[in-house]
Amino acid sequence: MNEPKIGVYVCNCGTNIAKVVDCDAVIEAAASLPGVEVARPYKYMCSNPGQEMIAADIEEHGLNRVVVAACSPRMHEPTFRKALQKAGVNPYFLEMANIREQCSWVHDEPVAATGKAKALTRAAVLRVAKHEPLERRSVDMCPNTLVMGGGISGMSGALDLADAGGKVYIVERDDHLGGNVARVDLTAPYLDSARDMLTERITRVVEHPNIEVLLESEVEAVEGFVGNFQARIRSKVDGGVSDQTVDVGSVIVATGYQEFDAARVTHFGYGKLPNVITSFELERMLREGRLVTKEGGAPQYVAIVHCVGSRTLEFHTYCSRVCCMTALKYAHEVKAAIPGCYVSDIYIDMHAFGKGHEDFYRRSAEVKTLFLMYEKNDCPVIRKAGPEDDCEMLIEVNETLSGETIEIPADLVILMVGMEAREDSAEVCRLVNISQDKDGWFIESHPKLDPVATTTDGIYIAGTCAAPKDIPDTVAQARAAAARIMGRIAKGKIEIEAVFAEVDEDFCSGCRMCNELCPYSAIEYDDEKKRSHVISALCKACGACVAACPSGAIKARHFTDQQIFAEIEGVLA
Amino acid sequence: MTFEPKIVGFLCNWCSYTGADLAGTSRIHYAPNVSVIRVMCSARIDPTFVLKALKDGADGVLICGCHPGDCHYTEGNYKIMRRFPLLKKLLADYGIENDRVRLEWVSASEGQRFADVVNDMTERVRALGPSPVKTDLATDMAER
Repeated sequence: MNEPKIGVYVCNCGTNIAKVVDCDAVIEAAASLPGVEVARPYKYMCSNPGQEMIAADIEEHGLNRVVVAACSPRMHEPTFRKALQKAGVNPYFLEMANIREQCSWVHDEPVAATGKAKALTRAAVLRVAKHEPLERRSVDMCPNTLVMGGGISGMSGALDLADAGGKVYIVERDDHLGGNVARVDLTAPYLDSARDMLTERITRVVEHPNIEVLLESEVEAVEGFVGNFQARIRSKVDGGVSDQTVDVGSVIVATGYQEFDAARVTHFGYGKLPNVITSFELERMLREGRLVTKEGGAPQYVAIVHCVGSRTLEFHTYCSRVCCMTALKYAHEVKAAIPGCYVSDIYIDMHAFGKGHEDFYRRSAEVKTLFLMYEKNDCPVIRKAGPEDDCEMLIEVNETLSGETIEIPADLVILMVGMEAREDSAEVCRLVNISQDKDGWFIESHPKLDPVATTTDGIYIAGTCAAPKDIPDTVAQARAAAARIMGRIAKGKIEIEAVFAEVDEDFCSGCRMCNELCPYSAIEYDDEKKRSHVISALCKACGACVAACPSGAIKARHFTDQQIFAEIEGVLA
Repeated sequence: MTFEPKIVGFLCNWCSYTGADLAGTSRIHYAPNVSVIRVMCSARIDPTFVLKALKDGADGVLICGCHPGDCHYTEGNYKIMRRFPLLKKLLADYGIENDRVRLEWVSASEGQRFADVVNDMTERVRALGPSPVKTDLATDMAER
């Protein structure tokens, strides 16, 4: 290897860095470090002129390593790696010093901030001198996809992929397709039948030559890596089980939600008052076309209570997004089923944020729904009515807009239960190695810019397993996930990260300590050689085995001991 | 003049480093004494990194990883969690005070927590004064 010839570039980031850090002082300090050929400041290193400056210096000075002191490597490492590659230098000969997110934006004292920027830049310079060229490899992308969950989301993603020619396996736990939408009568705000919508999807899915539906089945294990997963699926058959393993390149997780258990809220009398029911219990009656009280008669007064289990510190702090419009839908459906029935809608705030929703809200008022607003922490109280009343129950509401306490009659009370993450969602996370947020929803790779991918390459999320959402948003997310997968299938190849661990067999004692340690089972033991080795495609480069190897026989590419030691020396020099 | 400790931070890429970046994008100000070295997972942190940092003049070492149960690599943080008490025992034998080397969990959404940890750590190490053993350790290691 040639002697390191390092170029150091210090970004001003407009004034983001330069207003606190003395960039010229950082340049001056870096210029005297061993191996540094050129050191320059620039106002925006990530801009085209910034990148061209690096390329020109590589050409002119024969640079073989580059340090960019700028923003977080999580921001622009890929940008500068590409710039190096374009200029004919191995992209792994780049190191970034984070002097924005972890320096100029968090420190206000210029002398201290400049000192820290110098130290971080010095660490990067010493580190980059120890870098080694790494090659990314490319492997074939398997065009098959595994879809976990046969609801509206899973089916919609599957259909797009299958239409494009890919093979899709839909694994559904239930004995039928449709998920939670199959439990719904009409949909808001256009009062279309959920059943009609689902029938179209299910028929196409079942008849599609590229889709294999596995009902009463569960995914037991997903192994491998993007483009090359092996999924083990267990299906119930004739009282027993049968296992099969399928090869897939991508996985869409569309496992949906479960409803909030209304029995957890004590003050609405659910479970005690027979005619206090949940929204899904009402959906069932509506689908069966028989809207009655427990006693069997038609209710004269129906009350709908919003936000049960939602938007409260006691249960779920989030809004479930669909309940407000569903509640308005009930007003229409109840009125249509029982003309002359009095419907009151008891809400905290009316969230009518979507397309056509405000109009739907207005139309709901036009069908003479009585809207009563209550304060978040001042819930309505429901009690059994007396023999002299012409109703089953009485609801006392401290009504916000009038400022009065209002008592309204009810024969049937509908609790709008929110969505929550499924009980076993943590198991799904472990299965496909993705994460959950504090509420249990699966986390997307980027909340705004990459809302369908996850932190594990090749695993996508769609629908209500990621957060509460309505049918249009669910379908959009599922089809977006399908589109992302199709892009990859069209490309045909997957680039595999060049950073992974490798065992130096000369030093390996065959103790096998690393074998059990690896969470991805990426380390194999060769019985003949009595040595362990890493299956690089399975390795995710965490480095756990590297730190644990008693012989120091495992090397973490791009995070070697020498590289980290150099960095330590750099920050402390 | 007050003593300004030099502290080396080893942060996992997925949670803690991202959390530290978030402190930046949220403009949460904190003490400038910790310089961060990024590793992919806290399980990559070899005890020798800590020893090396102390030998090279660090007054303190801060290790941050994902909260238990939240590791990007499923269970890497449990590995550092088990390794850490052994390291602390060794450090105690060297006469290195408890507060100088610390393991904390910081998630990607905890920018404020990262800032609080850095401030608290800086205060504690400042109170301890310069690392008394950095030269001792250097001689010791050289002799071995």
